[in-house]
Amino acid sequence: MKKTIVWLLISVLSVALLITGCAQPSTPTPTATTSASPTPTPAETIKIGLQAPLTGNFAAEGQWAKQCVEVAADLINQKGGILGKKVEIVIADDGSNPKDSALAAQKLISQGLKEVIASYGSSVTAPAADLYDANKVVSVGYGCTAVRLTMEKQRPYFFRTAGRDDTQSEFFAKFAVEVLKAKRIAIMHDNQDYGKGVAEDAKKYLQPYIDKGECEIVYYDAITPGESDYSAVVSQIKEINPDVWFFTAYYPEAALLLKQARQAGVTCTFVGNNSVPTPEFEKIAGVDVIKGSIHLNEPMPQFLTTPEAKEFMEAYKAKYNELPGSIWAVYAADALNALAAAIEKAGSTDPDAVANAMRTMTDAKGITGPLMFTERGDRKNIPYYAYIYNEEGKLELYWPKD
Amino acid sequence: MRIFLEQFLNGLTIGSFYALVALGYSMVYGVMKLINFAHGDLFALGSYLGYTVLVIGAGWITQVLGVWGGVAVALTAAMLGIGIAGLVVERIAYRPVYKAGRLPLVVSALGMSIFISNGIMAIWGPRFQAYPPDAIPSAILSFGDIKITVIKLVTLIVSLGLMALIYWMVEKTLFGAAVRATALDRDTATLMGIDFRKIILFVFFVGPALGAMAGVFAGLNYGRIIFNLGWTYGLKAFTATILGGIGNIPGAMIGGLLLGVMESLFEGFVSGAWKSVFVFLVLIAILIVRPTGLIGEKVAEKV
Repeated sequence: MKKTIVWLLISVLSVALLITGCAQPSTPTPTATTSASPTPTPAETIKIGLQAPLTGNFAAEGQWAKQCVEVAADLINQKGGILGKKVEIVIADDGSNPKDSALAAQKLISQGLKEVIASYGSSVTAPAADLYDANKVVSVGYGCTAVRLTMEKQRPYFFRTAGRDDTQSEFFAKFAVEVLKAKRIAIMHDNQDYGKGVAEDAKKYLQPYIDKGECEIVYYDAITPGESDYSAVVSQIKEINPDVWFFTAYYPEAALLLKQARQAGVTCTFVGNNSVPTPEFEKIAGVDVIKGSIHLNEPMPQFLTTPEAKEFMEAYKAKYNELPGSIWAVYAADALNALAAAIEKAGSTDPDAVANAMRTMTDAKGITGPLMFTERGDRKNIPYYAYIYNEEGKLELYWPKD
Repeated sequence: MRIFLEQFLNGLTIGSFYALVALGYSMVYGVMKLINFAHGDLFALGSYLGYTVLVIGAGWITQVLGVWGGVAVALTAAMLGIGIAGLVVERIAYRPVYKAGRLPLVVSALGMSIFISNGIMAIWGPRFQAYPPDAIPSAILSFGDIKITVIKLVTLIVSLGLMALIYWMVEKTLFGAAVRATALDRDTATLMGIDFRKIILFVFFVGPALGAMAGVFAGLNYGRIIFNLGWTYGLKAFTATILGGIGNIPGAMIGGLLLGVMESLFEGFVSGAWKSVFVFLVLIAILIVRPTGLIGEKVAEKV
C-alpha cells in the first residue's frame, strides 16, 4: 500500500511536469506577415524576418521590438526602400523559450528568408542562431549579450547590435570602485545564462582591484527567478551591509528584491544591470523604492542624441504616443538598419555577400550610433552609461557625463 | 540569533502561503482522492480577482473604508468569488467524470488548470500586473533591528488563525467528524446518514476560498502578479501537501510551514542557488523514510 502512494506521487509529479510545458502560452502563433507599406507586390519587396518573444516571459520586449522594427521599416520605405525595393517584415513568435525559438527559426527559414533579426534573451537566441547559421541565413541578435554567442564558436552568419555581457561587467568594475568608491561589493545573479554571465565577468574585472586591496566581494550568490518572496536573501544582504549591491538579472525579480530590501531597512546603493530599468520595474517597485538606485545601461532610448535617433523617436512617438520601452527594441530596429545598409552595400540579398558587407561596412549609421561589426559578429564601440532614478522616479544620466 | 529569528519569520510567512494553498489540495484529496490540479490556478484567479476589485474600487472603496477596508473588501470578494468558482469547477469538470475512475479525473483537472491559467492570460494579458500602491497598507513595524511590514504580519496572523479555525472545525465539530468519516470510507459514511454531496460542496468551497485569500495576500505583499502565478505556488504547495501527508489537514499546514522555513533558512545561511536542490532532497529523503508524509497514515490504508 505504501508503494502505491509512492508510485502515485511519481506519476503525479511527472504529469505535473507535463503541464509546465502546456500551461505556458508558448505555442508560437501562426506567423503573421505585416507589410510595412500599403500594397507592395511580392516581387518588389525584400523580406526580412523578425523573430521576437511576442508571448511568454519577455512578451513586453517582443511587442516593443515588433513596433520598433515596423517603424524602422516604414522609415526605410519612405526613403525609397533597400535597392529600390520596399522592405517587408515577416514576424515569428519564439515564446521567450529556446524550444519555440528553434520552431520560429525553422518557420522563417522555410519561407526562404535570407536575412532575419533574432532574438531577445541569450538562451533563446542560441538555438535559433545555430539553425540560421546552418541554413546560411544572416541573423542579427538585438537582446542577447552572452559572451559565448560570438566567442565560443564562430557562426559566420551571426551578428548582434547589442553589446556583450562583459562590456557591462567591465564598466561596472570601474564604476563601482573608481566612481562609487565601494569597498565591500555584493553581487547577486539568478543562475540563468544571462545574469550569471554578467556576474561572473564582474567578478573577473573586479579581480585587479581586489588584488590591489581596493575592494572585496562580500557576497556572491544567486536567487531563484520567478518567486515572489525574497526576504531570506534580503535579510542576508541586510546583515552583510555592503557598500554596493550589484544585481545582474531581470526586472521582475529586481523590483521585488529592491522593494523588500527597502522595507526591511536595507540602505546600501543598489546597482542594477541593463535589463532592470524598464517601465515595468518602475510600476512594480514604485517611486519610493527605486529612487536613488543606479542602473547600468547602453544609451537609453530617451537619451539618444544621433540625428537618426531623433527621426526614429519622432516617428515612433507619432505612431505609438510613447517612446520604446527598452533599448533592446531599439537595437532590433538597428538590426534592420544594419541589414538594410549591408544589403545596399552588397547589392543583393545573397547571405554570403551580406555577411561580408556586415563585417566590412564602416559608414552605416544607426539609431544607437555607427553600425560596425567585428570579424566574430560583435558590434564595435558600444557606449555605456550609469543612470540614476531621481526623487520623482525619473532616470537621469549619472556617469560619465560628457 | 537576530538573523536566525528574522529568517525564521521570513520562512513562516512564505510557509503560510504554501500552507493555505496546500490545505485546498489536501482537503479535496482527502474526500475525493483527487489531486485538484486546478487549485493553484484558482489561487492565481483569486489574486487577479482581488486586483480587479482594488483597481476598480481604488477610487471609492479605499476612500470610504480606508486602506484596510479596501483590503477586507478585496479579500471577501475574492474568497466568495473563488469559492463559487471552486463549486463550478467541481460541477462541470469533476462531477460528470467522477464515476469514470481516477485517471479521467486527473486529466479533467489538468484541463481545468490549463483552461484557467490561459483564461487569466486572455482576460488580464500576459504581462505582469501590479497591485495599486495606494491600496496596499504601507506601514512598517520595527522590533529593534528587525523590520516587518504590517501587511506581512497580518498575513501571518490571519492565515495561522484561519488554519487553526479549519483545524478546529474538522477535528472538533460534528460536521468535521462527518468530513473525516467520508475521507475514511465514503460508502460506510453514507450508510451512516452523512450527506456526501454536502461534504464535497464544503471542501470545494472552502479549499479554493483559502487559496484565493492566499492569492490576494500574495498580491498585497509582493505587489506583482502574473497569469502563471498558480503554477509556481501550486507546485510548492503540492510539495508541501505530500511532505505533510496528503489528505491530512494538520499535515498540509505543517508541510507548508516546514517547507517555507527550510527554504528560508537554507537560502539565508547556505546558498540561494542550491535552495531548491536542498529542499527537494529533503522531500525525497522524507518520502523514503515515511512514504505517506510526516503525519499521513490514514490515507495509506485507504489507497
